[in-house]
Amino acid sequence: MSDTSLIGKPMPMTDSRAKVTGLGKYTDDLVAPGMLWGRILHSPHAHARIRAIDTAAAESLPGVKAVATGRDAPVPYGILPIGHDERVFALDKARYIGDNVAAVAATSPETAEEALRLLRVEYELLPAWFDPLESMKAERDWIHEEKPHNIEKEYHHEFGDVEAGFAQADFVLEVSYRCGEVTHAAMEPHSTLAVWEPDERMTVFSSTQVPFYLHRTVAAVCEMPMSRIRVIKPLVGGGFGGKSEVIPLEVAAAVLAKKTRRPVKITYTREEVFYAHRGRPITLVDLKAGITGDGRLTAVRARIVQDGGAYCGYGPVTVLYSGQLLNAIYDIPNVSFDGYRVLTNKPACGAMRGHGTVNARFAFESILDQLAARAGIDPLELRRRNLLPAPCVTPNGLRVTSYGLPECLDKVAERSGWRQKRGKLPYGRGIGVACSHYVSGAANPIIRSNMPHTTVHMKIDRDAAVTVYTGASEIGQGSDTMQVQITAEVLGVRPERIGLVAADTALTPVDLGSYSSRVTFMAGNACLEAARNLREQIFAAVARKFGCEPGDLDARDDRVVSKNGAKVSLSFDEAVATALEFQGALVAKGTYAPPEEARGGKFKGGGVGPSPAYSYCAQTAEVTVDPETGRVRVDRIVAAHDCGRALNPLTVEGQIEGSVYMGMGQALQEDMTWRDGRLMNPSFLEYRLPTTLETPPIESIIVESIDPEGPFGAKEAGEGSLAATIPAIANAIEDAVGIRITDVPITPEKVLAALRAKEQAEKGAKR
Amino acid sequence: MGKELIRLLVNGESREAAVPPSKLLLDVLREDLGLTGSKRGCDDSSCGCCTVLIDGVPMLACVALAVSYQDAEITTIEGLAAAGEFDPVQEAFAASGGAQCGFCTPGFILATRALLDSNPDPSLDEIRDALASNICRCTGYTQIYQAVIAAVEKLRERRRLPTAAD
Amino acid sequence: MTLAPFQVVRPASVDDAVRVLADNGPEAMIIAGGTDLVPNLQMRLFAPRVLVDIKRLKPLAGIEWDARNGLRIGALATLAETAQTPLVRTRFPALAAAVQSIAGPLQRNMGTIGGNVCLETRCLWYNQSEFWRQSLGGCLKKDGDVCHVAPGGRFCWAVWSGDSAPALLTLDAELEIAGPAGIRRVPLAEFYKDDGMDRIALGRDELVVAVRLPARAADRRGSYHKLRVRDSIDYPLAGVAVSMEVDASGVCRRARVALAAVNPAPRLVREASERLEGRRYSRELVEEAAHDAIRTGKPLTTSGSTPVYRREMVRLFTRRALEQLWQERGR
Repeated sequence: MSDTSLIGKPMPMTDSRAKVTGLGKYTDDLVAPGMLWGRILHSPHAHARIRAIDTAAAESLPGVKAVATGRDAPVPYGILPIGHDERVFALDKARYIGDNVAAVAATSPETAEEALRLLRVEYELLPAWFDPLESMKAERDWIHEEKPHNIEKEYHHEFGDVEAGFAQADFVLEVSYRCGEVTHAAMEPHSTLAVWEPDERMTVFSSTQVPFYLHRTVAAVCEMPMSRIRVIKPLVGGGFGGKSEVIPLEVAAAVLAKKTRRPVKITYTREEVFYAHRGRPITLVDLKAGITGDGRLTAVRARIVQDGGAYCGYGPVTVLYSGQLLNAIYDIPNVSFDGYRVLTNKPACGAMRGHGTVNARFAFESILDQLAARAGIDPLELRRRNLLPAPCVTPNGLRVTSYGLPECLDKVAERSGWRQKRGKLPYGRGIGVACSHYVSGAANPIIRSNMPHTTVHMKIDRDAAVTVYTGASEIGQGSDTMQVQITAEVLGVRPERIGLVAADTALTPVDLGSYSSRVTFMAGNACLEAARNLREQIFAAVARKFGCEPGDLDARDDRVVSKNGAKVSLSFDEAVATALEFQGALVAKGTYAPPEEARGGKFKGGGVGPSPAYSYCAQTAEVTVDPETGRVRVDRIVAAHDCGRALNPLTVEGQIEGSVYMGMGQALQEDMTWRDGRLMNPSFLEYRLPTTLETPPIESIIVESIDPEGPFGAKEAGEGSLAATIPAIANAIEDAVGIRITDVPITPEKVLAALRAKEQAEKGAKR
Repeated sequence: MGKELIRLLVNGESREAAVPPSKLLLDVLREDLGLTGSKRGCDDSSCGCCTVLIDGVPMLACVALAVSYQDAEITTIEGLAAAGEFDPVQEAFAASGGAQCGFCTPGFILATRALLDSNPDPSLDEIRDALASNICRCTGYTQIYQAVIAAVEKLRERRRLPTAAD
Repeated sequence: MTLAPFQVVRPASVDDAVRVLADNGPEAMIIAGGTDLVPNLQMRLFAPRVLVDIKRLKPLAGIEWDARNGLRIGALATLAETAQTPLVRTRFPALAAAVQSIAGPLQRNMGTIGGNVCLETRCLWYNQSEFWRQSLGGCLKKDGDVCHVAPGGRFCWAVWSGDSAPALLTLDAELEIAGPAGIRRVPLAEFYKDDGMDRIALGRDELVVAVRLPARAADRRGSYHKLRVRDSIDYPLAGVAVSMEVDASGVCRRARVALAAVNPAPRLVREASERLEGRRYSRELVEEAAHDAIRTGKPLTTSGSTPVYRREMVRLFTRRALEQLWQERGR
């Protein structure tokens, strides 16, 4: 497909100039006349019944315009239809330290903060649950009365015959892994500006990945028709899943705006962002896997417990992904999965880059290396021996249409110098490999319906500008640019001719949001369809006027011309003018819904995991371990990612590198630490994101499997590379110093302890 | 507490604002002067999103009291280049994928600008050292390193042009 | 988070500064770079009525050397300026290394040497927001009567977290302090009180004017080893500064070992000096000195890392520093 003019070529993001000049507006940069500042009162207790809230003193503070409590907004909500267990302010009880109890709106931030100090809440303390395994055993004081034993959801799947599979295996290992809790830490703290309009409407500007879910929720909680609410997403300073469900401040700002009939802005402090959380849960993975002597996987059994925090959020989806996506990467005939999503009195977990797959993948790719060692097979070779016979459908109903993993493995092996290095580097240095994958959007929407997952409108009028109206949410990943590129490619025009209006519920049709890496595949396909439709209209008009067939025409280089070089040669402006003569402004629409055959099995939980296409990644990590300090340094990472087709290699590489970076952070240093439900490190000083000094340049390699259904063959690029980084590093540490760490993050303390244990064991063996 | 009239020299313009003495430079820039390109990403001076140049030196506007910097020349991202123009560092960040979500970008660009003013040909290690107070959650820094290297090239070309005309 | 209101006074002379401090007593605090104070103010750890901004005080600026009086680093010298001054780098390597390790480059552009030697002590239970601390009922150091690090005790273990001080201690530093009676000089080792709540011997009406290093401390071999998770931004989890003189025959003529981030004060390991001086290198000797270091360092759970590990690293860093410096080519 070398005949494209824009697709496949690096293109700077369309909003990059707004960003490098500082002129682009994020939500907290906005002000509205008469704007009030909102602040939220959080619970200091992990589990407490709210007996009474005395708001009188706060309300009488000059400058305070409103105080809102649970009674002002009792309608429950939640991202999943089965999980409407949140209220903007706790109505009956607070369920974690940081839970939302009340909010104030005042004429200055200082006044709002002062007012919070004047709110008096009477709490009745309840026993609280912090450890997921303890919480599952609870007989009383359940976090939500309707969830016995604090189990939000459990799933039990078996595909094939796992016991028979283990019986065929020559090597079987059973290992327990643990992953600590991590959070998105987008640089922009959440912010919402809710503007009450004089005609009893409300406009909500918010830092969100899901403006259309926010639209529904604000309407429900404010008890207003959706038709009177408009949600606009300004620039968003990073999401990574942390803004992919409705976050309390978004509703709080709306409730306060409605109550005061004035604009209200709330911006979280960094600490509040940690409490809003929705990150990756503490995960316990008990994994059993077996291989034959020649390295073929025969069976896998996984028991996964996720410490979900105090509310449902995306929880059931997270736990299902962790089980369902054990498949669709290797050929595993027999898989069983027991998954538990457990409630605890801590901030709610949710979707974070690589949603659900990351911690399970850490365990899986670790055990693969441990099995490879047992069987005496090179770990990279072991992975090659278990590839899927794609295209195929997995035993749990996942349809794999394109599969670049073999090429990813070849590419990283070659680039990293795997053969020359594995097992051959001096003590203290090592190389490891791991693979990962991810969905290109979920084949089934969160709220089940037969509606398209996304719709794109386009318009051309007398200025011959092409305007794309898309609901897809640019959050820094390149969503806008991707759509401009596709539109310009199809219409054969320069990208500068394209204007894009995005993520404004009053102007743009519904797109479900920027999560589960769905935008390129879904909005990209819708965009492609709309642009083709527009092009057909132009061709039809030109053909009619010039007496030729529309099929004879071509659009390229900002012109509409005859393919054979005869007759028609119009500038794009002239071609548009021709079409306008017949019908006035040109409008077009494109939609996307995943095909029926991509939507997965009919079993309970079978709806999560299916995707129209899967991305693949193979990765090598090289590390240096200081055996005296236990400190691990990442020297080099090579990541090969199959994104189907790289519409824009510049942004694809940026996504791969960003994913690897986040994986590195989780692997070695990021960890939310808890003491009795209290987050000990709710700040960027103590929750330690890697700096430039821990981050070598990351080497990304694009692999293009050309998916049959993706736009120009494209699949996901933004998440699939993350999960491989963590086990690649763990596997490299094993190669470097001969220890196996099963507990993430891999801190120097753990490495040193493991080295000591190994030393002791070797001494013991000598005796 | 009462407000004080302060005068700041920002982006070459003398600007006045009536602010409480306890107000941070970052908040004065954003709220009183409308210069929202400087961002707040944390509350303990550990992210670099608020980086501005004070007398050419990159500093954190979130730990600076505005009243204390009335004698200084302050440059924010909005003032790095004339309106409608782009500093070579800005061009390089835009072209190289150095800005994804863009929230940390002004800080990185200003820290880079200061680096290149004092060291026009930095090694990769020097780049990593100079940017080590600025956190980016999107890029994994790789395209930022590439942007800085591209900016070095752009500046080198600029310096060459006049000599070529000699 | 907004700051509680205060006035800012910007004195033009040291005398004025002292007068303002004296007039306002405990309600005044000094601000220079702001990197330590302002985040603490955001957390509402202090509620000063007056901030005395000393950045205009000329006598506090600059770094000067003369062969008789040694090195004088004005309290307002930034950490970046200190670490980059060629004379500091070549002749006081322990100090250069320590200062270069502080926070990150932007914090070093703002933070001053005076601020760093007066740094507030830090603790995981203390350096938290007002909301966070109140959810716990405060701690001994602020708004409470319980130490969460050592419950039951009446002593505050908030930890000394400045990197420059241990290096300066190994270089026999003194402070110049201005007060109502003029300038006094105090050995740095006597400046620290080893109390998390009341960390330094500085009167409410005094300010640090300069750090002085005697000429005899120049050209000591020196290094600073810092335990931290990241190589930038982080405060130390443990720090070991070593300066030593070794004669041509390999005999240690002078040795100073000092620790940060494992006690409420930066502490010299005096036993190590006694043990090392007059001796030749041996692995056992170095191990013994490292053991002295861990007897001085008493880390508790004041930070994210474990006390056991930090202690272990103090031992390792001391050994590594001594081995490396002993074997360095003579100066």
